[in-house]
Amino acid sequence: MDKLTETVLSILAGSKVTLEIFIFTLAMSLPLGFFVALLRLSGIRPLAILMDVYIWIMRGSPLMLQLLFVYFALPMIGVRFSDIAAALLAFTLNYAAYFAEIFRAGIQSIPRGQYEAAKTLGLTYSQTMRRIILPQMIHRTLPPISNETINLVKDTSLIYILAMNDLLRVARTIVQRDFDMTAFFIAGAFYLVMTAVLTAIFKRMEAHYGKYDE
Amino acid sequence: MENTTNNAAYMLRVRDIHKSFQDNEVLKGISLDVCRGEVLSIIGPSGSGKSTLLRCLNRLETIDKGSIEVKGEFLVENDDSGCAAYAPTEKARALLGCMGMVFQQFNLFPHMTVLENLMEAPMQVKKQTREEIQPAAEELLRKVGLYEKRDAYPSRLSGGQQQRVAIARALAMRPDIMLFDEPTSALDPELTVEVLKTMRELAAEHMTMVVVTHEMTFARDVSNHVIFMADGVIVEQGRPSDLFGNPKEERTRMFLGNMVK
Ligand SMILES: Nc1ncnc2c1ncn2[C@@H]1O[C@H](COP(=O)(O)OP(=O)(O)OP(=O)(O)O)[C@@H](O)[C@H]1O
Ligand SMILES: [Mg+2]
Repeated sequence: MDKLTETVLSILAGSKVTLEIFIFTLAMSLPLGFFVALLRLSGIRPLAILMDVYIWIMRGSPLMLQLLFVYFALPMIGVRFSDIAAALLAFTLNYAAYFAEIFRAGIQSIPRGQYEAAKTLGLTYSQTMRRIILPQMIHRTLPPISNETINLVKDTSLIYILAMNDLLRVARTIVQRDFDMTAFFIAGAFYLVMTAVLTAIFKRMEAHYGKYDE
Repeated sequence: MENTTNNAAYMLRVRDIHKSFQDNEVLKGISLDVCRGEVLSIIGPSGSGKSTLLRCLNRLETIDKGSIEVKGEFLVENDDSGCAAYAPTEKARALLGCMGMVFQQFNLFPHMTVLENLMEAPMQVKKQTREEIQPAAEELLRKVGLYEKRDAYPSRLSGGQQQRVAIARALAMRPDIMLFDEPTSALDPELTVEVLKTMRELAAEHMTMVVVTHEMTFARDVSNHVIFMADGVIVEQGRPSDLFGNPKEERTRMFLGNMVK
């Protein structure tokens, strides 16, 4: 019993790293992704192409490779980060690319008539974006955003390779030390609880933004 | 300013406007006048440029050449090189604010209730408070017969109801001129009646209206003036009794013949 408590506490400590990566990545990649989507749709060709290339690289290569690159390759050319900063940088850049594509599709799915109606009513461009386009875009993009967010919870386990004592690494250390599988089950339960909580939060947000149907 | 007295009765004066999409000239020199309280109907075959003309009036499309005067002031006029030059932003905004528009596809804001749809522009553009605007918005909804739907979302309304909300939404900005682009074309026949009724009531209140329509009965009964367009030009125009009763041009006769059939 004492041993079980100790295992849970160790894993709880590990989950702190995991949660940090998760929360900060989300907090940074959502706005960054939105900004990238706006640049991508800006109609300024060089910017749009640049964003396309960025999105292509981030979505077209493994996140694991990107992590290794930031963590091991950049220091070789003298760019050095703390462990957590390296992980956050890689995760944020990667997830922002996914979110950018979701936001781009969301913005483009709003019919032209919405912009035209707003314009004939005298709304400025920024009022139109803020009051008319964005709320509808959020409504339409919540399901894919929710998917990506849950993926992020699981992807945080990739920092395992950076030796940062996250949830998964702590669990594995205990399993190897004690020859006892329990820690894996506890770790699994932690991930499941996190995704369950997120699912519930997104359900509520979808209900809030989905008071109307289209 | 010089011509204020002369032009005061004109809500819209359009002179020789041209509009091309790439090398496709869609408007080939259109001129028209709309007086205060007048209802102008624009009819014509598909692709003749009716929507484009209407959209040029409120700058959803920009014209290449020609002039548009709103209430005696130039929204756009030819510069020295003969190209259309628009008024400075602030003035253009003010003039465009005189016009409301109703679209074929309604274009209501789906994430707002009926009442919110009406109050959005007055609150954002005119910075009126909710308390200031709500009574007027509710009054407009009563007028179009949809007061009891004020808290419904647009998706819960029939097409005819949505279009009446769209009309009320445009009216909430207190425009002097209302533009309608085939407001009943997307509706089932039994629903067009209620929208046309709302439009007739507006006309009876002497709202200045420019209406692109396929509803010949409406054009004949309600408008003071009818324009028949084809291929980007005005083929014939006049009082509805003349144009419908005794069309002079062969193209008009053919078009009206097809419409009746
Ligand atoms: N944004 C655009 N880009 C390119 N061509 C356009 C555009 N809008 C309209 N056109 C062209 O301009 C011409 C006139 O179109 P318009 O929509 O004004 O006709 P209309 O008289 O309103 O027809 P309908 O009765 O079918 O609504 C058409 O040939 C159309 O293809
Ligand atoms: Mg049209």
